[in-house]
Amino acid sequence: MSHDTTLKEDDGAFIAESRTARDKVQRLLRARDSSIALAAIILVLLFSVTSGGQFLHAGIWPSILSSTAELGIVSIGVAVLMIGGDFDLSVGANFSFAALVMASLIAHGVSGLLGLAVALSIGLAIGFLNGMITVYLAIPSFVATLGTWLVWVGVTLVVTGGSTVTVLRQSRVLNALGGSVFGAGIRWEVIWWILLGAVMAVVLHRTAFGNAIFAIGGRSQAAREAGIPVRRVRVLNFMICGLCSAAAGAVQLGHLQSMASSYGDYYQLYSIAAAVVGGTVLTGGRGSVFGTMLGALILSMLDAGLILSGVSTFWYQAVVGIIVILAVAMHTRLGRTARGGD
Amino acid sequence: MEEQRQQRLRAQGITKKFGAVTAIENISVTFYSHEITGIVGDNGAGKSTFVKIICGVEQPSRGELYFEGKPVRFRSARDARRAGIEAVHQDLGLIESMSVARNFFLGMEPRKGLLLDVPRMRSETRRRLYELGLRNLKSVDQDVGRLSGGERQAISIGRAVAFEKKVLILDEPTSALSVRETAKVFDYMRGARQQGLAVLAIMHSMRQILDIADRIIVFWHGGLVADLPNQGLTEHLLAECIHSGVPPSQIHL
Ligand SMILES: Nc1ncnc2c1ncn2[C@@H]1O[C@H](COP(=O)(O)OP(=O)(O)OP(=O)(O)O)[C@@H](O)[C@H]1O
Ligand SMILES: [Mg+2]
Repeated sequence: MSHDTTLKEDDGAFIAESRTARDKVQRLLRARDSSIALAAIILVLLFSVTSGGQFLHAGIWPSILSSTAELGIVSIGVAVLMIGGDFDLSVGANFSFAALVMASLIAHGVSGLLGLAVALSIGLAIGFLNGMITVYLAIPSFVATLGTWLVWVGVTLVVTGGSTVTVLRQSRVLNALGGSVFGAGIRWEVIWWILLGAVMAVVLHRTAFGNAIFAIGGRSQAAREAGIPVRRVRVLNFMICGLCSAAAGAVQLGHLQSMASSYGDYYQLYSIAAAVVGGTVLTGGRGSVFGTMLGALILSMLDAGLILSGVSTFWYQAVVGIIVILAVAMHTRLGRTARGGD
Repeated sequence: MEEQRQQRLRAQGITKKFGAVTAIENISVTFYSHEITGIVGDNGAGKSTFVKIICGVEQPSRGELYFEGKPVRFRSARDARRAGIEAVHQDLGLIESMSVARNFFLGMEPRKGLLLDVPRMRSETRRRLYELGLRNLKSVDQDVGRLSGGERQAISIGRAVAFEKKVLILDEPTSALSVRETAKVFDYMRGARQQGLAVLAIMHSMRQILDIADRIIVFWHGGLVADLPNQGLTEHLLAECIHSGVPPSQIHL
């Protein structure tokens, strides 16, 4: 027997932890995050071949990372919400609305910082409203946010008439949100995305609040029996999601210096797709921030990779659809083996 | 023993309605320290509902709770747990998609500053479960969903026992346990009684209830129909009372 079974003696605990090398490798492969990372690497290799090496050219990565960051910031909020067992279909509307208000304010001479504060407050408020409607009216969040999505799209169109708002004057805050980092190709939004990811990973995986989110998504009745304030946590999750959506709108405004109501449309479903590709389970209770970040990266790489491979961009949606199905199939399989198929 | 017996928890006229359904009606009963109370009744008699109200999971439609003589309102299970009331619910209150250690400390996580004290969660869980006799558990990092029914029950009980201070409530705690494990749970219940807890246990096995309880209360169609010391009772008498709702003293054999 090659088992090296160690009896852990700390604090008189004696439950054996059997760990062989094979065990460890299997565990690593089973871990969702590493399989997603593997998928991302395979994708890079694939596109390198199909694009005749162009995909490895450093020049294209700043733009891939920028779009990753914008999608990624929304997706982190969406993933947190989904892990807690809820959905938000209104993130795209929230994204455009908050950023449009911010753009108009700054264009009219309001300071960038105040504009940002207003945008983030709008995100929080929309999230709070989504949460209250879902939790206290006891409506499935899918339906509740379908409703608020349409409401905010309508409001945005009425306010802007559907036109694009462009900020012509220079704003240090906009630069710090989405401008280039010290004149390099990389933009600040990429840094913000990584920072947000790091913070949210700690919150989700290393705090009691994060534990509560997983518990509620796993089985909310059990969470309630343990004394977790289920409603309050769920409303907070919606607020986190709302905040992330508005923040993503703000960094994109910083990047493009302009905003229109249609810009957010993309994020409605692709944020869910990124979370799902990253291993977040649609029924809640499972998922990770890191996986979701990789999910966003994969979707952005697809976009660029298809173009560089000479495939019509019209194929993008179809390919994302296939990737989502493959990802869910893979995660379901992994989940099954992890639950005792072995 | 007798002079140590103190009032722990008193329910006064507790009624719970779920919409049009009245699950329990006008329940008044007192639980004491150093005493194991067996709660029996048919399926749907209202036992679990009553117990959920005591530990703050459900709020009563009418009636009051008194904890150690003082009126209390538990708005959530957290309030009750802070007061020292722990429960093993019928559904075990576990989350399949989470690890054993995270389940163990759910809602009572040890912290280091703002963050979870994960090493302590793991080592404490391992120690507690080992003490409870769960010695075959591979790791406290595996998901509860991978465990057997008996292992889950042991974890749920271990958790309640770890945090109990004043009242320990067990809703059918031994239904998935072997004879040996059941004996272990009974040891824990007696230990808790020894330490002065009020222990409440819902059980369907007449034999077990007569074996462990000092006192037995009987629910029938949402009402409390009998409150008896465990003396001179037989399985047959108890079963008769549970089915007919007639107190054993009035049952003519
Ligand atoms: N959340 C709920 N919503 C509606 N009705 C409920 C709810 N919980 C319990 N009831 C009803 O209340 C009654 C009492 O249920 P309860 O679970 O308390 O019974 P019990 O005595 O624990 O039964 P068992 O022995 O089967 O566990 C039942 O008729 C049940 O259908
Ligand atoms: Mg019950």
